[in-house]
Amino acid sequence: MALYSVKTMKYVIETQDLTRVYKSYQKPEGLKNSIKGIWERKYDTKVALDKTTIKIESGKIIGLVGANGAGKTTLLKILSGLVVPSSGSATVLGYKPWERNNEYLRQMSILLGQKNQLWWDISPVDSYALLARIYDLNVAKTRQRVDELATMLDCKHVLNTQLRRLSLGERMKMEIIGALLHEPRILFLDEPTIGLDIVAQENIRNFLSNYVKEKGPTVILTSHYMDDIATLADSLLLISKGNIVYQGTVDEFTNNTNSELAHDEKVDFEEVIRRFLETESRVR
Amino acid sequence: MKKSFAVFLKRNLAFANLAIVTNLEYRLNYFIDAFVQPILTTGIEVLLWIAVFKGAQSETIAGFAKDSYLSYALWSAFFARIATSWMYEARMIEEVSSGSINSIIVRPMTFYEYYLSQFMGYKIITTLLSLTVPLVAAWYFDLPTIYSRIPLALLLCFYFLILVHTISFIISTFAFHYTKISSITAAKNLLFWILMGELFPLDLLPEPYKTIFITAPFASGTFVPVGYIIGRVEIDTVYTGFISVTISLIVLNLLGAYLWRKGLDSYVGTGA
Repeated sequence: MALYSVKTMKYVIETQDLTRVYKSYQKPEGLKNSIKGIWERKYDTKVALDKTTIKIESGKIIGLVGANGAGKTTLLKILSGLVVPSSGSATVLGYKPWERNNEYLRQMSILLGQKNQLWWDISPVDSYALLARIYDLNVAKTRQRVDELATMLDCKHVLNTQLRRLSLGERMKMEIIGALLHEPRILFLDEPTIGLDIVAQENIRNFLSNYVKEKGPTVILTSHYMDDIATLADSLLLISKGNIVYQGTVDEFTNNTNSELAHDEKVDFEEVIRRFLETESRVR
Repeated sequence: MKKSFAVFLKRNLAFANLAIVTNLEYRLNYFIDAFVQPILTTGIEVLLWIAVFKGAQSETIAGFAKDSYLSYALWSAFFARIATSWMYEARMIEEVSSGSINSIIVRPMTFYEYYLSQFMGYKIITTLLSLTVPLVAAWYFDLPTIYSRIPLALLLCFYFLILVHTISFIISTFAFHYTKISSITAAKNLLFWILMGELFPLDLLPEPYKTIFITAPFASGTFVPVGYIIGRVEIDTVYTGFISVTISLIVLNLLGAYLWRKGLDSYVGTGA
């Protein structure tokens, strides 16, 4: 049950000292060590997210930026309920995500750009019909909504084709429709344009931009393409080695860091981010 | 409450439908699974019993004639195929180890119900189609079969399937910790082959093993329903089967829920 009414919430996402530590098996080279590993295994621990505290207001689009392994996906996984934190607390819409309350899951969606979430062996229309049942949506309205979203994304012609036979770009469009079908209040987008060509990236960016203007969900977006962030995000969360190192608006960040890092040389957003992350890596 | 049950029901019917739609996408594979495999298994078992009787130089074994064993071989091959989970257990394990489970965890449904409904949907449609094989064979070769007992026998077998699924669920939770565990499925199904009575009728065992094996829940997968159809066991044994499966379901579901929670606590959201 939600802790308090969503309508009265200033912050829809709040975390306090959120930490996740991963343990991974270390296998030294050679047959001898393989045999030894049967009874004696060595593990390495890695802090993927370190005492992260954030507050996100309703209806904001947050660009979550960081280098590979910085902890972006881990944060999204915890907030979406995929992963349980090692310590700390978090609430999204008043729910603890990892308790996976159905009421929370009905209001949330996560799109993992590197992972299919629709059914591989059936056509997208069959997947959407199934999603309508899972989210208890009106079947006729769902069909209409699929039609609208597919028109906006210019992909109506592939709706009846088995998912496994679609190109990467077409598949991503299908995944986006699937993620938005139940009109989530919270949307986690983990690299939604990964691996796509420039035209497809731009199409998806424009589509998402129009969608968030129309429906107003709270969005956390990660991407390695800074155009995605610059176009869509109105706030930035910069993460480095499991720590949030900046939380504020895109404009503030660009103005402040331009003078500090670019030495008043006029550089674009992508370059500022790149220099910032380089500096962070050196400092830490 | 009524609404949430209706939602639950609709959702699970959709999962059952998904299993049918998915399997029909691959027609050749499905046809072999539904028809060719049961025919081959039945053929092997029938030949085995013909050989046993020829070697035994006797009209009966343990009080039952050759026809009874041939009928047992025919129906046990059919029931054992229903009561065994290879494909869905492998898929459940793969979902956990590959991280495809992510798309289930973040949606308002449970992994247990998602796969149970698919499993049941697949088994129901396959049973309806492949039931023609033993029916035609029993009629053509005039083998001892009490046709009026088939519905109750199938009901027991399908009830047992929930237990089979629960065991698959428990095994799949091991994949959170060990990743590759397909050998457990192979070992478990080998054990089921004997415990269910597919290999030989369990009433051939000496006491006390006979009573233990027949009272154990696994007999409800093959020996009890088949024995009931061909007249080797009576209704009391069927009732015992229902009770035995119910007790096992309670115990194993509690265990499954615990293991699932432990598994998710250590899950790292693989592959994303």
